[in-house]
Parts: sequence; C-alpha cells; structure tokens
Amino acid sequence: MNDRHLQYERLIAPIENRMMRAVWRVMRDPNDVEDAFQEALLTVWKRWDRICIHPNPQALVLQICINTAHDALRRKLRQRKWLEAGAVPEDIPDSSHSATQDISGAEQETQVLHAIGLLPKNQARAILMHAVEEVPYGDIAAAMDCRESTVRKHVARARAKLRSLLSHLIPAVHKEESSHA
Amino acid sequence: MRDQNANNEMDELIRRKTQVEIPAEVEDRLRHRLTEFRTRVEQRPPNRWRSLAYSLTYRPPLRAMAMAAAALVAVAVGLVLIPREANASRVYAAAAQQLRNSQSLEYTFVFSELPYVGVDFSYAAPGYQRVNCSWGIEVRADHTARKQIVLMHLTRMYVVESGKQVESPANSDDWVKQLESLPPAADQVLGERQVGGKRLIGYRFVKAPDGTSIPGLKSFDLWVDAGTRQADHVDIAIEEQGKPVYQMHIRNIRVNGQVDRSLFDLTPPAGYTVITAASAEARASKTAPQQNALVLQAQIRQSVALTAVVLPMTGSYAQTQAASERVESYLKTLGVTPVGPPFGRFESVQSWDTGYPVPLATHVEAPFQLVSVPAAQIASVVVNGPWGPDSTGRWGAFLKSVVEQGYLPAGPPMEIWSGDDTKVQTQSTEMRIAVTKAN
Repeated sequence: MNDRHLQYERLIAPIENRMMRAVWRVMRDPNDVEDAFQEALLTVWKRWDRICIHPNPQALVLQICINTAHDALRRKLRQRKWLEAGAVPEDIPDSSHSATQDISGAEQETQVLHAIGLLPKNQARAILMHAVEEVPYGDIAAAMDCRESTVRKHVARARAKLRSLLSHLIPAVHKEESSHA
Repeated sequence: MRDQNANNEMDELIRRKTQVEIPAEVEDRLRHRLTEFRTRVEQRPPNRWRSLAYSLTYRPPLRAMAMAAAALVAVAVGLVLIPREANASRVYAAAAQQLRNSQSLEYTFVFSELPYVGVDFSYAAPGYQRVNCSWGIEVRADHTARKQIVLMHLTRMYVVESGKQVESPANSDDWVKQLESLPPAADQVLGERQVGGKRLIGYRFVKAPDGTSIPGLKSFDLWVDAGTRQADHVDIAIEEQGKPVYQMHIRNIRVNGQVDRSLFDLTPPAGYTVITAASAEARASKTAPQQNALVLQAQIRQSVALTAVVLPMTGSYAQTQAASERVESYLKTLGVTPVGPPFGRFESVQSWDTGYPVPLATHVEAPFQLVSVPAAQIASVVVNGPWGPDSTGRWGAFLKSVVEQGYLPAGPPMEIWSGDDTKVQTQSTEMRIAVTKAN
C-alpha cells in the first residue's frame, strides 16, 4: 500500500458514485457520457498534486466533473445549433396550464438541461454544485477559488435566468404569471 | 419569503429533473474507467527523481537508453525544476526583505467578508499609524510625539491621548510585527496561482514567526507577486479548540508606497466633540432623569462565544425592530428556539445586522446568515427600562467610561435587548463593545 493508494482512498474512493452521477446528470447520453467522464478523470490526473493539497479536494474533484460535463453539454448544444437561436427552442410549449400538463417528464428533463446549457459557465457550475450536488456554498467557493458571496451571486443569477426560461415548469411562477395575465 | 419559496422551487425543479439514476450498463462502463484511473494514480511515481532511479535499474539492454533519458531528465530538471524552486525562494526572500525594511506599509485586515468587518491599516516611518475600523472607530497615532487621537464616528466624538506609549486599538500593529518578522524560509511552498493577471507564489507558515504569537494559528499563507516580488495578500486560518476553523485575510498590501500624510493628522474633524470627564458627567446628569437606572460604569469582562442567525442590513437603524422581528419569524418557521435575547451589531449604516443566538447546528438560507461571534474581552453596561431615543448620549457616556478605565474600543457597538416588549419594567438593554488595553 503506497502513498498514492492512500491518497486515492482518501480523496476519490468516497465520492466515486457522486462523480459518476455528476457527469451523468448533466450529459444523460450513454454515448457521450463515457468520453466526458474520461476527460474529467484526465483533468483530475493532471491536477493530482494540486488536488492533494487543496483545502477541499473532494469539492474540487466534483467541480471538475461538473465543469467537464457542462462543457460537453454546451458543445453538444452548439452542434445542434441551439445557441444560434439564442433562446429556448420554439417548440417549447406555451405556459398555459393545459400545455404544462402535456409536457412529458422526459421533455421537461431535456428542457431543464438545455436551459442549464444556455447559462454562462460560472453560473451553471455554481447552480449545479449547489442545487444538484448540494455542496455547501463555502465548499463551492473553495473549489471555484472565489468568495462565497460570488458563488451566491452566480447561483442567484442562474436561478433568475432559469426562472425566465423555465417559468412554465414552476407552479408558483406559473400561477403568479397567470394571475397577472 | 416569496423569493425564498421561488428559489426553493427552482432548486427543487433542477434537482428533480436532473436526479436520474445511471443505467446499469453505463455505470459499468464508468466504473471500468474509474478502475483504470485508480491503477494509473497508484502507479503514478511519487516524484521525478524516483522515476529516474527506477529507469536506471531496469534491464541492461535498456540501460544505455535509460542513461540518455536520465541525462535529458537531468538537464530538464536543471533548466526547469531547480531554477523554479530557486526562483520561488528568491521571490520569497525579496518579499520578506521588503517587509522587514518597509518605510511605509498599508493593508486591509478582513475579519469577516459578509457582513464586512475589517480594518484599514496605514503605517509610515518613523512612527505614524492609522487604524480605521469598519465599525466606526478610527485611531491616528504619532508614536514619535507619543500622541494619538481616537475618533468615534458613530457618536462624532473623540479622545486625545498623549504622554505615554500609544498603541492601536485593534492589535493591527501586531500584524506588522508578523509581516516584518517572517523567517528566512517558508514551511511549505504552495505553488503558483494566477489572480487578476498576476502570477502569485504561495508560502505557508504553520507557526508564528519568532518573537510573535498568533493564538490558534493553523496556517499563515503569504502570497507574493512573482513579477514585483511584493507581498500581495495573506490568508490566515485559526483553529481554536472546540470551534470551527475560521479564516481572516490581509489584503491590498502595499509596501513602500506613497502614503497620504493627512491620514495621520491629529486634528479632530469639524463638528466632533471631545470626551472629557466634565462633558461625560454633564451628559450623565442631563440624561439621568430620563434613565433612572442607567449605569455608566462599564464593566470589563470576557464574553462567551456564541453562534447566531443574523439578517445583514444597510441603511437607517430605524429598521432595527422590523429586522429583528423578521429574524424571529424566520426562526419560528424553521422551528428553531433562540438560546438568548435578540441583539444588534452596528458597525455603520452601510453594514449592520440584527439577530438571535441559536444552537450550533442551525442551517439557514440567504439572506439570513449563521455567524460565529467569538469570545472577546468586552466592556459592558446594562441600561434598565425602555431603550428610548437617546442612543447617542448613552453610547457617548459608555465609551467615555471605557476610555477612562484605560481601554479602547476594538469592535462594533452591540446592543442586546432583554425583557417583555409589553412590560416596560422588565425591559433592559446591554451595551457591549470589544475592547483592548490602551497601554
């Protein structure tokens, strides 16, 4: 049992499942997820010495996984020319109640992923770390090498943008908009 | 509250729509990748020298190639690795020397980012110092003349001290000693980091420099600009027994820069009144009829550390009651019972907060914050009865009592309100401020 073995046991072994899930949740494509995961592992490998001395190595590793997956998602969206449209695609149903009911779960998942793909990198990474991986703000800040207040701003801006893109999926926002109408 | 609900719903939507299980077949493939990765990590050579040694002990036919490779690696090490380490040492030595021989020094000591609690410090040889605290206290000192002025911006009052060795109130000059006494070499080189277009090299110290002390020091990380070889900032981690680690920072370090001499001007600003024994007595007698039970004699004691939920505020202090009620109502929705009476910390109208002490494990969401109020030496006085509108007069009298006892304020003013809102006779307010010995 060498030092590297111990380092792996301490840093990676406890979060192996979280690493895989972090990439899968963003990619959701059996064909692409393996490449993205391999890319994330390569980044971890390259930064191994830095990770070992990082104050919160596991948050950093999770961040690397999320970053890689988000980059891959953006690349994929670009390939499909989603970004050229500059907004959520036109085929997203309108926000009426009956239309909302018609959207299937799978479609909603796709819309949420596409909306996340439209976010600026830092905002997307912060909201994914916070809302999906439930990493505390302080740990996200350590991983992103910025202040906690900056992370909170990224998350708030991400929420605001997602709210405008996905209002038809959120009951409260939807209700409020309907009552104003 | 509506915003909070909307945020929760948005987070929940993202969570719900992304938390899908990985198909077994995909998971198998990813696990295979992880296994390969683990093998690579475990086989990763501990350092370049060991890999070189291994290559030389392998099969004889390869030895010649290994020797050639070794020669190349040696050249690479000579050209890249050694200069880099030597360069890091030189950068550190230059920065430490500049700090040791500094003729002027400015920095900001940040105790807390949000709400902001910090101290701007300026020093110019041979003995001018200025400490400007975010909670409204400013001290300007001329050590050559053994004279200093303490400005209390909150109450627009000042105290002049002279004839003895004057010291700054927030112990900020101790940090000058820390910076000036850096040892010849760091305990650890942290590597490089790009920040704002600057290439910074980090140096870690795990114990205070000789002749100085930093209670509970876990790490003292000095980051030096490799280009200018000047100290850029310091991150300090303090770990006291039984408490979570907390971070402090020294930022905006400027060594041998041009310091504005007017910062050390000992002339009191216009409109400020001097605190003298006579003025304090007059104020006390004037306010006595309205505050029969007012005790002006500040008690110096050690406070107990506490954890609290606070609501950071800006603007008029008239919002205090409404803000305090908002915290109370939030705690009720969380089902958290406060472990003490409400309080307010009034650093400035730009940054103040109010809240309740709570159990350690409480979890809160923005805009509320869970903060740790450390134990400290404090001055304290309890005013019985309703608080009333003459806050400035009470604080003036209280601070005068503090100064008369040989102490200076070293933290934001704090008020702790006890009693039943509906029963005047049960109400009391504790005025409290962190203090440090003046000499």
